[in-house]
Amino acid sequence: MAVELRPPTARPDRKGSGRPGLGDTLRQAWREYRSMRTALVLLVVLAAASIMGSLFPQEGLSPQRVDLYFADHPALAPVLERLGLFDVFGSAWYMAIYAALLGALVACLVPRTRALVRVLRSRPPHGGDLARYRTRASFTTTAAPEEAMAAARLVLRRSRYRLADRDGELAGEKGFLREAASMLFHVSLLVLLVGLAYGKGYGYRGQAAIVEGETWANARVGYDSFSSGRFFGAGDLAPFQLRLDDFTNSFYPNNTPKEFASQLTALDLDGRELQAQRVAPNRPMTVDGVRIFQSDYGYVPVVRVTDAKGRELLAPQEVLTLRDPATEWSTGAVKVTNATPQVGLELTMFTGLVTAPDCPGGAPFCNDPRLIRPVLVVLAYQGDLQADRAQSVFTLDRSRLEPLGDRPVLLVPGQSRKLANGMTVSFTDLKQYSVLTLARDPGVQVVAVGAGLLLLGLVPSLYVTRRRVWVRAAPDGAGGARVELAGLALQGKPAFEAELARLAEQVQRGTLAPPRQ
Amino acid sequence: MSPDALATTSDTLAWLAVVSYVVAATLFGFEFAYRTRWFGVAGLTVTVAGLAANVGAAVTRGLAVDRVPWGNMYEFSIIVGIITVSGFLVWVARRPEIRPLGVFVLLPAVCAMALGGLVFRVPAGPLVPALNSRWIVIHVAAAITGSSVLCLASVFSILYLVKERLERRQRPPAPPLVAGAARTADRVEVDQAVARHASIWSRLPSADTLDHLAYRTTAFGFPIWTFAIIAGAIWAQAAWGRYWGWDPKETWSFISWTVFAAYLHARATAGWRGRRAAWLSIVGLATLLFNFYAVNTVIVGLHSYGGT
Repeated sequence: MAVELRPPTARPDRKGSGRPGLGDTLRQAWREYRSMRTALVLLVVLAAASIMGSLFPQEGLSPQRVDLYFADHPALAPVLERLGLFDVFGSAWYMAIYAALLGALVACLVPRTRALVRVLRSRPPHGGDLARYRTRASFTTTAAPEEAMAAARLVLRRSRYRLADRDGELAGEKGFLREAASMLFHVSLLVLLVGLAYGKGYGYRGQAAIVEGETWANARVGYDSFSSGRFFGAGDLAPFQLRLDDFTNSFYPNNTPKEFASQLTALDLDGRELQAQRVAPNRPMTVDGVRIFQSDYGYVPVVRVTDAKGRELLAPQEVLTLRDPATEWSTGAVKVTNATPQVGLELTMFTGLVTAPDCPGGAPFCNDPRLIRPVLVVLAYQGDLQADRAQSVFTLDRSRLEPLGDRPVLLVPGQSRKLANGMTVSFTDLKQYSVLTLARDPGVQVVAVGAGLLLLGLVPSLYVTRRRVWVRAAPDGAGGARVELAGLALQGKPAFEAELARLAEQVQRGTLAPPRQ
Repeated sequence: MSPDALATTSDTLAWLAVVSYVVAATLFGFEFAYRTRWFGVAGLTVTVAGLAANVGAAVTRGLAVDRVPWGNMYEFSIIVGIITVSGFLVWVARRPEIRPLGVFVLLPAVCAMALGGLVFRVPAGPLVPALNSRWIVIHVAAAITGSSVLCLASVFSILYLVKERLERRQRPPAPPLVAGAARTADRVEVDQAVARHASIWSRLPSADTLDHLAYRTTAFGFPIWTFAIIAGAIWAQAAWGRYWGWDPKETWSFISWTVFAAYLHARATAGWRGRRAAWLSIVGLATLLFNFYAVNTVIVGLHSYGGT
C-alpha cells in the first residue's frame, strides 16, 4: 500500500501572492494528515505491522522460542532483533505507527468537534428549491396552509427533529447522534490507550510456585518470573503471605484434565489470616488489589540420600519437578555435592506407572495421569556436577558425569534403594506444588470504561443517519392546501425514502384531525 | 437419549445439513444460470431444511457434551454454517431478488463445514479447565457470529468486484480515433466474445446493490466482532490476569478488526470507496480465515486448544 504524499494542490492564497509559501505547504500537509485517507492508510499499515508480531516469536510471550530461533538462525536472528521483530508491540516503529494514527485521530477530532458544535448551534438551513431533492412527497388537503404547517410541526417535533420555522418553510434536522457517537467511539480509543499505558507503567505481573503446606511471602525474591512497569517500585508489592493449604487435580475418564485448584489462605505479615479461597482456572482471588490466578502445577518428590555408612549426605529435600502436560510425567534432578565423587540423580516421576501390555501402541511403559501409583525412576551419575556454574535446577549438566550403575532404580513413596556405589536413595514423601500468577493492573478500570464507551459509540455511529426534511404548504385555490415535503439523507437512503413517506402520511392525517392543544 | 446416541445423531444431522446445502447451492446455481424461479424456490426450501438439520446438529451436540456446542474447531464450523446461512436468509427475506446469490453463500459455508467435519472433527467430549467459564458462551458465540457475518460481507464484496468490472467493460466503448475497417471488425468480435463470456455474471445484482449489501453486512458484523474482542479481553483478564497479551489469536483478531475498520473508513473516503474498499474487505476475509485455520493449528499460542 503506497502512502500518498501528494504535493500541495494549488489553492487561492489568502494574501493573494502568486506561489504558495511554506505556511501553505504546512497547512496543506496538516490537512492531509488529518484526512480520512491518512487514517485509512495508517490503519492498513498498523494491520500489516501487527502481522510481523505473529510471524516471529515474541520475547514477551515465549522467550524460550526466541532463544530457539536464535539457535536455529544464528545469522538472521541478531538482525531481526535489531529491527525489533522479537518485540514488535513494544518496538519504536510500532509505537510510531500507532502514535501517528492517534495523532491523526486527535487532529481530526478537533475540527470535527468544532463543526458539530457549530452545526448544533445553528438552525437547520433553508431548503431552497424543493424540486431538486430526490426524496419528495406531496398531497393536498382541505385544511388551510397554516393548519397543515401546524400539523407538520407537531409530527416533526414528535419525530424529534430540530426545527426552524421561517418564510413559510419548516426545516427539520436530526441524526447528530451519528457524528457524536462516532466521536465518542474515537475518543474512547484514546481512553483505552491511556488506561493501557497507565496499567503497564504502574502494574506488575509475576509467577510463583508454592509447595503444599508452605507459606510464601509476597516479595520480589519469591517470584520465579517477574515483570513490572517503569513506575513500579520494589516497595510497591502488597505486604501479604500466601499459604497453600491443599492442591487437588482431577481428570475425566478419558484422562483429559478436568480441574485443578489451590486452596489458598492469605495472611498478613504477622501471620493473621486475611481470607481463604479456592483458586482454579477462571476463578482468581484478589488480595490487597493483587489478583492471584491458578496457572500450573507439578509434583514434589521428597528425596533423602545417605552414604554407605548411613550418614546423611542430603537431608530430605523437596525436589521441584517439571510436569509434561501431555503425559503427566515429571522430571527433575538431585545434586549431591558433598559426596566424593559428586553424585547427580535424574528423576522421572510417574503418577501412575503402567507397563506393557496395558499401554497403547505397544509402548513398554506409559503413565496414568491420575495420582494412583506414583513411582520415582532414578538414574544416577557420578563425577563433576559443575555446581559452581549457573545451571537449571531441573536438569543435570552431564558433560563431566558418567553413569553410576547400568539400570535405573525404581522407588515408590516410603521406599529406599541402594545405588551401585553403596549410597541409599529414599523417596520419603510426595507433595504437589501450585504455580500461581500474581498481577496488579491499576489501569484496568480505565480500559474497561474505554471499551464500554467504544461499544456505546460504535452502533449509533453506524446506524443513525443524518437527515433533513423541509415542509411547505401553499393554498391550492380551493380553500385547502397543497403540502410539499422534501428530504435529504446523508446515509441510509432507501430507509429514508420510507421514512419521508411515513412523515407525509402522518402530516396528512394530522391535517384531517386538527391537533389538540 | 444417551450422550453417545446424541453425539451420533449430531454427526448425522451435520452431514445432512452439508448435503442439503450442496443440493440447495446447486438449485440456486441453476436459478442463477437459467433464471428459473422454481429452482430458487426449491433451493430456498432445501436451505431452510438444511438449516434445521444444522441447528439440530448443534443442539444435539450441546446436549451430548452438556455444555455450549462451540468448544473446538469442529463445533465452531457447525455454528459458522448456521450463522452464515441464517444471515443470508435474513437478506433474502428483505430483498428476495438476491436469492440466486445463495450459490455463492452456501458453497463457502459448505466448505467450512466439510473441512471442519473431515479435518478437525473430534469426538464429543468435555472442555479443558481453561475453557471452563461462562465467558465461553458469550465470547465464542460473539466471535462466531461476528466472523461469519463479516465473511458473508466479504462474499458480497467479491461479487461486487466481479460485477463492477463487468459494468465497467460493458460501458459503450469510446469510438476509435482512426476508424480502420479491419480494426472495427476485430473490435466487434472481441465485444461479442466478452458479452458471451460475461453473460452469466451479468445476472448478478447491480454493483451498487452488492456494494450496499457488503456495507450493511459489515456494519452489522463489525460491532459484534468488536464486542467479541472485548468479551475475550474480559475473559482473558479473569483467566490469565491480563486483558491483552498479543497472543497470536488476539493479534489476528486485532488485525481483522483494523482491516474492517479500514474498510468502513474507505467507504467514506473519496478514491477508496468501491473497488479499493472491496479489496480491503477481501483482505479482511483472508485475515479471518488465517486466524481460524492457521493460528489454531500452526502457530503456538494460548488459544491453540482449538484443534484437538
